[in-house]
Amino acid sequence: MLFSRRLMLGLAMASTLAFPAMAEGPTEIDLFFPVPVDGKLARDMGTMIKEFNETHPAIKATAVYTGSYDDTLIKTRAAIKAGKPPAAVIMSANFLLDMQIENELTNLDALIKSDGSTKEQFLGQFFPALQGNAVINRSVYGVPFHNSTPLLYINADKAKEAGLDPNKPPQTWAELTDWAKKLTKRDGDKVTQWGIAIPCAYDYCGWMMETLTMSNGGRYYNEEFGGEVYYDTPSMLGALTWWNDLVYKHKVHAPGATPGPAVSTSFISGNAAMMMLSTGSLTYVRDNAKFNYKVAFIPRNVRNAVPIGGASLIVPAGLEAEKQKAAWTLIKWMTSPEKSGWWSRATGYFAPNMAAYKTPEMVDFLNKNPDAKTAVEQLDVAKPWFATYKTVPVRKNLEDEVMLVLNGKKQPKEALVAAQKAADETLKPYNETSLKLP
Amino acid sequence: MSFAEPAALPVANSAAPRLHVLKRYSSGFKASLPAYLLLLPSLIFLALFTYGAMGRVLIDALYQRTTPKAPVRFVGLDNISAVLADPAFTGAVVNNLIYAVGTAIPSIGLALLFALALARTNVVTSALRAALFLPVLIPMVAASALFLFIFLPNVGLLDYYIGRLLPVLPNWLGDPDIALSAIMVITIWKNAGYYMLFFLAGLQAVPEDVMEAAHLDGAGPFQRLRYIILPELKPTFLFVIVIATLNAVTQVDHVFVMTKGGPANSTNLVLFYIYQQAVEHYDIGKASAATLLTLAALMGLTALSFRTLANREGGP
Repeated sequence: MLFSRRLMLGLAMASTLAFPAMAEGPTEIDLFFPVPVDGKLARDMGTMIKEFNETHPAIKATAVYTGSYDDTLIKTRAAIKAGKPPAAVIMSANFLLDMQIENELTNLDALIKSDGSTKEQFLGQFFPALQGNAVINRSVYGVPFHNSTPLLYINADKAKEAGLDPNKPPQTWAELTDWAKKLTKRDGDKVTQWGIAIPCAYDYCGWMMETLTMSNGGRYYNEEFGGEVYYDTPSMLGALTWWNDLVYKHKVHAPGATPGPAVSTSFISGNAAMMMLSTGSLTYVRDNAKFNYKVAFIPRNVRNAVPIGGASLIVPAGLEAEKQKAAWTLIKWMTSPEKSGWWSRATGYFAPNMAAYKTPEMVDFLNKNPDAKTAVEQLDVAKPWFATYKTVPVRKNLEDEVMLVLNGKKQPKEALVAAQKAADETLKPYNETSLKLP
Repeated sequence: MSFAEPAALPVANSAAPRLHVLKRYSSGFKASLPAYLLLLPSLIFLALFTYGAMGRVLIDALYQRTTPKAPVRFVGLDNISAVLADPAFTGAVVNNLIYAVGTAIPSIGLALLFALALARTNVVTSALRAALFLPVLIPMVAASALFLFIFLPNVGLLDYYIGRLLPVLPNWLGDPDIALSAIMVITIWKNAGYYMLFFLAGLQAVPEDVMEAAHLDGAGPFQRLRYIILPELKPTFLFVIVIATLNAVTQVDHVFVMTKGGPANSTNLVLFYIYQQAVEHYDIGKASAATLLTLAALMGLTALSFRTLANREGGP
């Protein structure tokens, strides 16, 4: 009796193994997601995917945490190489070009068309500033999911203490320098409170350099071609010189390279009176600051301009049609006005879907938290994010040199010359293919 | 610590009766056949996952793949020369040498000190031994995450306590002059307790009668250490040095968690460099070339230490 039951069970199991297609059940898909900023994003993602699974019985999505933006790219590539790509990935928006060059992305045009929608209609849902990082050679490769701009965070209590009006935040670099000087407290030679903190760790450092360069009137890379960066230019030299001056001339910014979490901890603990950080950290600041704070536009030297940050949803290449379709259902659900608004309120990122701001929950939320509006308003002056062939190494070529400057080991000019040389070397293979004549 | 006797001997003996008949007709090979058979599974795995992989690395190192549009092409030794010409690689080699010497000597020294102090077993020393061994149990990634908060500039634990004494607060992980030392501190903290175990075992092998005789002859504690204990611990030293050197090359979890090789490559170690080439730069050729160079260096080093061990007189 027992034996035969076991035998039956064994046969049943064997048949499932032999004919997996016959096994009934939901389509199982993986979603890779990073956590690049402070806060409880991983838990929020769990909540979101649970709701998706409850409302979509035909699909079983699993959220897989994959570390930082850079780590997520690496893990996705490893999964593609191993022949088991995840069905969807929340991918740093500036890696899309690199992945497209490497043939790692699914062109989403066909999926958009299968919904009876045109590319223009589909992209029309999102803020125009986000399209530069989602569209490559007129094809859609990414769906904006959570996006950011850098912001200036100000400790309003300390500003008042120093005789500054937090309702009139600094609008130019000169004013910011002035504020930072007034907000730096010294005890002899020792600094007990820093005027401003700007993060510089791999990934964040490049984004902040781009921010400063753009507000200094410059551009950073060739938006049309993946093989050119403009590190050794007057606009970037001006940006790096100003950053260097904050550290070594005005002594209002701590020397050395400081990662993002250290900057936010410093701000929360009152050790730094101002900081430049992603709007993605806004909810974390709101939940943890025991003082009044203000958020403002990044001050300009020449013009108001910031790069887009954040991530898009992508579908890796090499998936079966069934999983691709399931991923597309998930992506559309996650970027819908309701969900994208919910995620924005939970994290601090802004919702890329413009309709999200018309939902009653969002209107209500913005009335209660006007600080969440700043990033959206700043979108009017936002531009695409740095994207080239081999984005990560090319970015590191610059970041290594900026770190040397912030540590007083190099002057801005020689650092940028070295960065340009290194980046040109990294980009060489791609440029060689474009130099090849038929 | 004592080195294991050759494992094949007792195995061959236990299998001998069944092959008694065979043995009469055959020579040496057949006699040791069971031993070879028993080694076979390990050999298969070794061939598949070690030598096979090494062969693959050897082949990959000869090819270059740049963009998907450009086909993979044979470049011979170009990858090797590219690696040797890369300042990031030579920098990583120098960093790794500093790291190896700078972590091995203090952690072995501390381990010996701990072992000598805690050689006798009683309640207090057992508790202290456990306390010193605790860091070994913490996974490297967790330990690194912990130290990330300790090293946090201005607001971290270290600055909170030391900050009052120093005129300028160092940015422990953000300054290329300090970052490598900061990372070394974690390795020393983590490994000293581990090596202590080997020394404790080694100390137990020091013959009691020799120590007593020395005591009767009027040898002081320092003389006993210098002329009896340290010579007796020689094999332990050799073993621990090999382990420490290998650890210095194979442990990169903390680099990954804490600095990603930065700032400006100041904490980049050879293994992390290989990882960067393979997965960040997507350059399998260069990564394989760097792997080959590292393998060659490690094999040379291992051969050297085995020779030293083989030349040693007598057993442990």
